[in-house]
Amino acid sequence: MTSEILLPTSQEEAIASFGDGGGLTVLGGGTALMPELAAGGPSGLRVLCLARAGLDGVSRSNGSVTIGAACPISALEELDEPLATAARHVADPEVRAQATVGGNICVEASAESPRGDLQAPLIALAATGRSSGAGGERTEPIENFLASRDGRLLLEVSYPDTSRVAGYAVARRPHAHHYPIMAACAARDSGTTRVAVTGAARTGHRCTSVEQALASGATADDAAARVVDDVAGELRDDALASAWYRERVMPTLVARALAQLEEGSA
Amino acid sequence: MKLTVNGRAHDLASDPLRPLLHVLRDELDVTGPKAGCQQGSCGTCTILVDGEARRSCLTPLALVDGAEVTTIEGLGDATRLNALQAAFHQYYGAQCGFCTSGMIVAAHALLERNPAPTRHDIQTALAGHICRCTGYVKILDAIEAVARGETFTETNGDRQPGVEESVAKTGVSG
Amino acid sequence: MKAVGARLPRYDGLGHVVGETTFVDDVRVPDGNLWARALRSPSHAARIVRLDTRKAAELPGVHGIVTHEDIPRNVYGHLEALGVPADEPLLAEDEVRYKGQPIAVVAADSEEEAQAAVEAIELELEERDTLFDIRKAFDPDAPKIHPWGNWFPYFGGPDEGPDRRKVRKGDIDKAFSDADTIVQGVYRPAAIEHCPTETQVALVVPEASGRLVIYSCTQAMYFSMGVVAAHLEVPLNKLKFVGGTVGGGFGGKVDTAAETLSGLLALKTDRAVKWRWTREEEFLASSTRAPWHMEIADAVTSDGWILGRKMLTLHDAGAYARFSPYGLTKHAFHHAGAYTIPNIHFDGFVVFTNRVPTTAMRGFGVTSVSFAVETHISRIANTLGLDPYEFRLKNANRVGDTTPNGVTLTDPSTVATIHAVAEAAGDTLAPEYAAMTSEPRSGPLLPDHLVTQQRDGRSAHA
Repeated sequence: MTSEILLPTSQEEAIASFGDGGGLTVLGGGTALMPELAAGGPSGLRVLCLARAGLDGVSRSNGSVTIGAACPISALEELDEPLATAARHVADPEVRAQATVGGNICVEASAESPRGDLQAPLIALAATGRSSGAGGERTEPIENFLASRDGRLLLEVSYPDTSRVAGYAVARRPHAHHYPIMAACAARDSGTTRVAVTGAARTGHRCTSVEQALASGATADDAAARVVDDVAGELRDDALASAWYRERVMPTLVARALAQLEEGSA
Repeated sequence: MKLTVNGRAHDLASDPLRPLLHVLRDELDVTGPKAGCQQGSCGTCTILVDGEARRSCLTPLALVDGAEVTTIEGLGDATRLNALQAAFHQYYGAQCGFCTSGMIVAAHALLERNPAPTRHDIQTALAGHICRCTGYVKILDAIEAVARGETFTETNGDRQPGVEESVAKTGVSG
Repeated sequence: MKAVGARLPRYDGLGHVVGETTFVDDVRVPDGNLWARALRSPSHAARIVRLDTRKAAELPGVHGIVTHEDIPRNVYGHLEALGVPADEPLLAEDEVRYKGQPIAVVAADSEEEAQAAVEAIELELEERDTLFDIRKAFDPDAPKIHPWGNWFPYFGGPDEGPDRRKVRKGDIDKAFSDADTIVQGVYRPAAIEHCPTETQVALVVPEASGRLVIYSCTQAMYFSMGVVAAHLEVPLNKLKFVGGTVGGGFGGKVDTAAETLSGLLALKTDRAVKWRWTREEEFLASSTRAPWHMEIADAVTSDGWILGRKMLTLHDAGAYARFSPYGLTKHAFHHAGAYTIPNIHFDGFVVFTNRVPTTAMRGFGVTSVSFAVETHISRIANTLGLDPYEFRLKNANRVGDTTPNGVTLTDPSTVATIHAVAEAAGDTLAPEYAAMTSEPRSGPLLPDHLVTQQRDGRSAHA
């Protein structure tokens, strides 16, 4: 069965083509979809391709950094931390030049690996996502978008263009093309610290327990230990690592990310 | 959909989601790019799309409509090797040969944007390319040799140097 | 001798660097070819209750399906020519013994149609208990992999039990009673997938005469030709093999993987058939290097001599023997490493499990034992508080030393190799050790316990 491809040439056209998303598969760079098709995935898909919809730029204006959903991940490598470092950990340079930010945020975790490894740094940066779908457009914190992304077309993400210190600690993948097993991201802006983890749960996860502990004066190590509460009941068990392992290593990664905040501000 | 491959224009009516790798190999008979994993994880299918290195197995045809595609075959042939091809030959960067076309194409893209890469730059650029034979050292040596401007005498493939010639060159006799 | 020491260009190098080398998947047939896909066992161990291909055969694009019933000779052993009885069906008949074992193959107009037909084949299995740990294979209640048991029963030879590879030398009991210390170690290297960048692939083109032209990625052309001929029960002149271009093998393309079934499909459909394994299939069902379990106990003296070695090796063959008995035999020959040990007691078993069959990989059977031996030698040196170079150099093979199986060495290179290692590592040896050579033992390098072993050897050239 032949696929049908929709190639909108503007944002407005993309929104109109997407509608409420029914029966559509959104194609960013293809780096997640194509392997699934090659492995015997569905044929005859109806695909909305964002490559020419004008959603591939990065801009800094009005105190915000805005990244189009179709922006290649390679374009993030020189942006703000901890996003830049996280982006450099994605696959290899050729895949980074093709894979898109929107794809990374919208892709579902697979049975083998958590994927979505840019979600946590964006949460740490207090990013918002602008999306369209049933009920029209909306802009919301990226963690809220992640919780209700079905039937939504992500258009862009934005985060405040301020100076901050950041931390990123990762349990490395064994091979360039594996996703990181887990990573912890932290960003401190005007005394407020945001913490998020990737690879622990179904999506990138904001660690409010860690943040609250820090706010109430806990040491970094004590606060980091609280990450277990944040991901309790949601820990992934997959080909990269067991839930048992993740539960034990995650606090260490959070502690390392927090320690980098102290080094950064010193 | 229109596609130019190694300077030749093609008009294609294939499924828009068909991987460029299959279009090249099965429809256009351009077999230099190899199907090593079809998961984007091995690098053997790497080609240039408008001069940038891409995995052809990850690239649906729809994304390259109107693009200029260059494969290993477009970089040089046996009678006129480009510098990287000559260097891979001379430095034994190719062993079984299956990863070689992807390696050379990726190295070509690197040198186009960074003519003087460090060894670390080369390693980073080739991070997605798997070679199971060489252990990579000879591949890195070959690319470094081109980057430092070494010239290669073995550019004429019509004439494989025989044993006598090689012995004379290396000064070893038996 | 003009090639020795010269840097010759690879004979196939130019084709590689310009992308002109023709690998099997690059071969094009004028009228095109059918594509093959396999139904593989989803279970590690099961009885096949029912196999029905009728619905699959009716699907669009399907030209032929081959099951065990279509194979002139289904069960053939890779080492049958050496007298090793056959144990492996080309397509599973009544039992599946590993996950990924082929049960049926389909030829269709496209890979997608072939895959759809594979999924339409009706297969009913009755699950059996599985065995994955070679250490448990000898338990009385272990699941039974083959009717004859869980380890290979056919080792021959006048001095050997039938069920193991045995090596005996000297007086092992005396060595252990004379020892100052016994140093023990257990070594368990894991399975390794060869992971060639080119997956298993074959293209078979039937000729009008009935001869099959087989484009093969095998590392062992003439061997594979024999395997195909045996299964098809045809003389060799009915097969024309085209090979010699292999996209990486490392031992993983010694077993004949895709050629025979592609040939059967070509005969059944009278069309050219290509079968290229997916990367997932390669990981699931292509053979791996074996996992091993090695236990070593060495009788040693405080001044750094190895008097005797007791060793037990379990070689995990996976579900079928293939080349494993040969691999274990090489392993047994090398179990003393590059060191002279006058008293030996070695037992090695080829053990069956519900893993994918294992095979050669870069020094079949020897890399595992080398790893174990060198690690063990370092362990002994540490235990005795001796310098690991000096301990190695004392025990290193010399001209006139004998191997565990009684071959007298005429040109051992161990001493020179250890000297080279020390130099490469930037380590300085004491003068008396730096001056050592491979010359026959004498003086302090010929203690009493080594005198007899030198007399008992046979010449390597005998």
